[in-house]
Amino acid sequence: MLRDITLGQYYQTDSVIHRLDPRVKLGGTLLFIISLFFFQHFPGYVAAALFLGIVIKLSHVPFRFMVRGMKAIVFLLILTVAFNLFLTPGTELVSFWKLTITWEGLKTAAAMAVRLTMLIIGSSIMTLTTTPNNLTDGMEKMMRPLRVFKVPVHEVAMMMSIALRFIPILLEETDKIMKAQIARGADFESGNLLKRAKAMVPLLVPLFVSAFRRANDLALAMEARCYRGGEGRTKMKPLVYQKRDRIAYLCILLYLAVSITAGRLVWMWI
Amino acid sequence: MGIVKASDVVYEYIRRDEEGNVEGITTAIDRVNFDIAPGEFVAIVGHNGSGKSTLAKHINAILNPTEGTVWVDGMDTGDEGSLWDIRQTAGMVFQNPDNQIIGQVVEEDVGFGPENLGIPTKEIWERVEESLRAVGMYEYRKHSPNRLSGGQKQRVSIAGVLAMHPRCIVLDEPTAMLDPSGRREVIRAVRGLNQVEGMTVILITHYMEEIIHADRVFVMDQGKIAMEGTPREIFSQVERLKELRLDVPQATLLAHELKKRGVVLPDGILTGQELADALVGKKRGQG
Amino acid sequence: MSIILDHVNYRYGEGTPLETAALKDVCLQIPDGQFVGIIGHTGSGKSTLVQHLNGLLKASSGRIYFNGEDIYDKEYDRKKLRSRVGLVFQYPEHQLFETDVFTDVCFGPKNLGLDRRETELRAYDALRKVGLPDELFYQSPFDLSGGQKRRAAIAGVLAMKPEVLILDEPTAGLDPRGRDEILGQIRELQTKTGMTILLVSHSMEDVAEYVDRIIVMNRGSVMYDGTPREIFTHYRELESVGLAAPQVTYILHELKDRGLDVDVSATTIGEAADTVMRALGR
Repeated sequence: MLRDITLGQYYQTDSVIHRLDPRVKLGGTLLFIISLFFFQHFPGYVAAALFLGIVIKLSHVPFRFMVRGMKAIVFLLILTVAFNLFLTPGTELVSFWKLTITWEGLKTAAAMAVRLTMLIIGSSIMTLTTTPNNLTDGMEKMMRPLRVFKVPVHEVAMMMSIALRFIPILLEETDKIMKAQIARGADFESGNLLKRAKAMVPLLVPLFVSAFRRANDLALAMEARCYRGGEGRTKMKPLVYQKRDRIAYLCILLYLAVSITAGRLVWMWI
Repeated sequence: MGIVKASDVVYEYIRRDEEGNVEGITTAIDRVNFDIAPGEFVAIVGHNGSGKSTLAKHINAILNPTEGTVWVDGMDTGDEGSLWDIRQTAGMVFQNPDNQIIGQVVEEDVGFGPENLGIPTKEIWERVEESLRAVGMYEYRKHSPNRLSGGQKQRVSIAGVLAMHPRCIVLDEPTAMLDPSGRREVIRAVRGLNQVEGMTVILITHYMEEIIHADRVFVMDQGKIAMEGTPREIFSQVERLKELRLDVPQATLLAHELKKRGVVLPDGILTGQELADALVGKKRGQG
Repeated sequence: MSIILDHVNYRYGEGTPLETAALKDVCLQIPDGQFVGIIGHTGSGKSTLVQHLNGLLKASSGRIYFNGEDIYDKEYDRKKLRSRVGLVFQYPEHQLFETDVFTDVCFGPKNLGLDRRETELRAYDALRKVGLPDELFYQSPFDLSGGQKRRAAIAGVLAMKPEVLILDEPTAGLDPRGRDEILGQIRELQTKTGMTILLVSHSMEDVAEYVDRIIVMNRGSVMYDGTPREIFTHYRELESVGLAAPQVTYILHELKDRGLDVDVSATTIGEAADTVMRALGR
């Protein structure tokens, strides 16, 4: 059920990837995603897949675990592939009923599927190997220059980290409320859109009431522990680049060079 | 003056209806006085609405008295300037374990308080380790709080407060949402703090079996301290406790019942063993 | 008329690496009109078990019969089952949502497709049965005290006129007074209506004096099943799985060990006093 969503949940183990500075992982993921959209040809994907494979291996997160997390977005993937497959004009390959598959369509669809899969796996490695707190710390530090423009960087990071902490709790609570209302004969599954929207009320009201109560409690608990904003706070885990982080940056740059070259130049010998 | 002292504390709040009109004034705390010595273990009991949680919130300066004064380590809680010093001196653990853990990893949560106090990084780590060890949660330091049991979560919350190096720790119904084994875990940890570390403990609860080990017990009713004394003194007044609708240990109840039926027994029997001692002596005396 | 569980198994997250057995080969028969306590600590499978009885969870294998009919049969109306086996969850906050208590209690019967008159009649009847005073009927459910919320939640399920009522931890978070009141009300309900009631709890002491029968769950299996008296003779084994018999049991054993000839199977203070008096020769 709801608790089966593993996409982006931290997987606790120890690995080089886990120990990397979150800024490296954030930057690396961003660069990896950009690289995927630079490729026009097959070898680029091979390079990317190879790189991803090595990172997965290094992360000590079971591949099964990542794939399971992807189940939730399979639908999105299929939709994108279908659109590309049927709606790209070009040389006709097969045609049945009103649908035509073109050679170009097949190519774009395949490329899209590969890109999306790698994009999702790539970014889920980041969240799987980085505690959300660490991640928000990384973002906070990377975005620190924005403070000049009066962006409340610390507050935003703190809010994100709290939101992330409460998502699993609220998901579980949603599950419980749903069950409690189903036991009173509520029906969340049938009827038209309007009816279904109305059926959500018995679910949403208790959920909001609970969320507000939790927020109130949490604010109190934070104040009781002397939280008063970002000023004067020290860090238990300050972000300091280590040797391994510099090596990681080099590896990423190397990968970028190799893959983009491979992905763009190889057309010459096709 | 002790570590926490209250003198003539009154707390009133104004009830309003939906339009915001004043409906009336409720006196949640009514002329409460106490003085708690450093290292003491004080339990405050009473049923819901007796004012015990409201009282607890005064010690941490979450609430301020309408009348009277609360001092924490000599600081007046009404003094804005010493607010953060008071909160650091008197740490507070709340009822719902889920709603007070901020960190995603146990150790990060324990480090939250010291971070707020601006403690240097190296010392935060030392404090986190020592606090987690004190509540027996050190081996869980890398775990996600979501995967812990209720009792474990509450122990993490206690560690989170300990890491701020308070002189006194106030626990506001820390066991109300736990099952019996979780409850035992938490109470054991709290007793350990009091006995081993000499920490001043103020435990608010409605479970009477948790107060047996306290040095002093306050029974609250309608905002007042209705009874005060050692657990033994409190439990010897079975009828009064029943009037206040509070639980009495079954050994005490049984002794009380036997006394009503004419068996002569000493007052304030708390455990089965004490009852057995008294009864076996009786039997021998007869035979 | 009864509930029968025949070799029921339930596994969480089937087909995933996190698969765990939550119920293991549970066989039970619950006759009509019985007042049953289902005891176990957190994670023992007691809540999972009761969610099978009204079809919220479906067994991985095994059969469940309600009044002789297999609830997993294709033809069986499982939606109707939910109104015949009423389940009240642990936290009333999870189900109260309307602007006033009365409308909230109407939610269940309205979902059954009853007309307005019948719905309101049932809601009124249910609220009376749980002992909620009339002046609270039109209050917001969020303004009630813990014990009152609990009553409103129970009324919300009772209004569907179930044949079996299951209460999951009805006393969680209540103070001793609230706990005694709600359990007393449930007992009164049971004696008045004679309906089958299942009380899920982690506290032996709380339910011992109310129920006819106790089912002890441990690690997804039925560990003991019998009258409170029978169950408490296993007090040492119960302790090893994180449960405790009522204190009285321990006190009586202590007395017996010390040479006082008492009947250790007494479960209430009154019974214990009787046997001690006899042992003292008075």
